[in-house]
Amino acid sequence: MGLEFKLLNAMRHGYYIRYSCVKKRDNITNKPLLQLESKVITPEDVLKLSKITETYLCDPDANIYDIDFTRFKIRDLESGAVLFEIAKPVTENIDDTTEKNMENEELIDPNSGRFVRYQFTPQFLKLKTVGATVEFTVGNRPVNRFRMIERHFFRDKLLKTFDFEFGFCIPFSRNTCEHIYEFPTLPVDLVNEMIASPFETRSDSFYFVDDCLIMHNKADYAYNGGMST
Amino acid sequence: MGFLTVLKKMKQKEKEMRILMLGLDNAGKTTILKRFNGESINTISPTLGFNIKTLEHRGFKLNMWDVGGQKSLRSYWRNYFECTDGLIWVVDSADKRRLEDCKNELHVLLQEERLSGATLLIFANKQDLPGACAVEELRDILELEKIKTHHWKIVWCSAVTGENLLDGIDWLINDIAARIFTLD
Repeated sequence: MGLEFKLLNAMRHGYYIRYSCVKKRDNITNKPLLQLESKVITPEDVLKLSKITETYLCDPDANIYDIDFTRFKIRDLESGAVLFEIAKPVTENIDDTTEKNMENEELIDPNSGRFVRYQFTPQFLKLKTVGATVEFTVGNRPVNRFRMIERHFFRDKLLKTFDFEFGFCIPFSRNTCEHIYEFPTLPVDLVNEMIASPFETRSDSFYFVDDCLIMHNKADYAYNGGMST
Repeated sequence: MGFLTVLKKMKQKEKEMRILMLGLDNAGKTTILKRFNGESINTISPTLGFNIKTLEHRGFKLNMWDVGGQKSLRSYWRNYFECTDGLIWVVDSADKRRLEDCKNELHVLLQEERLSGATLLIFANKQDLPGACAVEELRDILELEKIKTHHWKIVWCSAVTGENLLDGIDWLINDIAARIFTLD
């Protein structure tokens, strides 16, 4: 994920306002947590976390399988509308419309592409059934027991955990996975607080191969898009 | 308590089913998957890997796997057999030249030990096309009556119009549920 993404669907249906790949946040460093430094991070480790991590738990170069996320999409199952879609153009034909508003120094920031910021309108939190698709490609070696664990928090409250094992991935393959799920029913107070507290809703996405952490991405979310502040 | 019992109990807790969709390339596996999940089918290209959908259907959590059917990918199918509860074999009913190939691949697959516990649904797809083989014809050409090792059924469908997809998948789910979730 990163500056090379192209926005395919946006500002439609009043759900989505903008997304951006934020430069390295001050409070997120590339330094592994001290107590974890000598240890391989396992699924059990991240499932125990009670809040968003302060650091990335692996280096960008831990991804020795060249797993590359090439598309993200969110659709509303009730209306069938695609609410949000970004995709990496195929490398041969990157064109000029590719996100121009990214700063150049992101090119050399090792954490570029590990962080995405989403800004939605309050209506987003009223959706009932949502399909979230990721597409990824795999490099020249087979991948065994590929597993994704994604944890969504508002402040220190866990909203949702995705835990899914893709299993085996074919060398040079392009794969997709869509999770169709009911939006968790959140108390009205909490929803209002989430709307009033932009970017305090955050997620960590951990990717494992053979129970060893190989990728860690972060995102944060605002739901006050389109509201006057 | 054997491993299988443990596994069944674990699945029972979440009422989870793993469904694997295979067939020759261009049979319509991805179109079936997308159509069944209400997604646009306008831009479908050959699957060079897998497509997964996880969804809730009739109180069950379905994990549906569609793995590419090109010849070069078929040797990788075996990597997706583990824990499969339901196998959907998709047939392009209008591609008569390749029905022999289709039959052979299916019967090889059914010898696979790790699929021995799976219910088999054969989707006779593309029934909207002129010249598509009828279900009765396919039953003979694919030698389905020879299958004694699996619960199976052949169902006609059209992924493009969506006809009969739900009927087929509901039969599959009912058969799996009867086998797995009513044991104790």
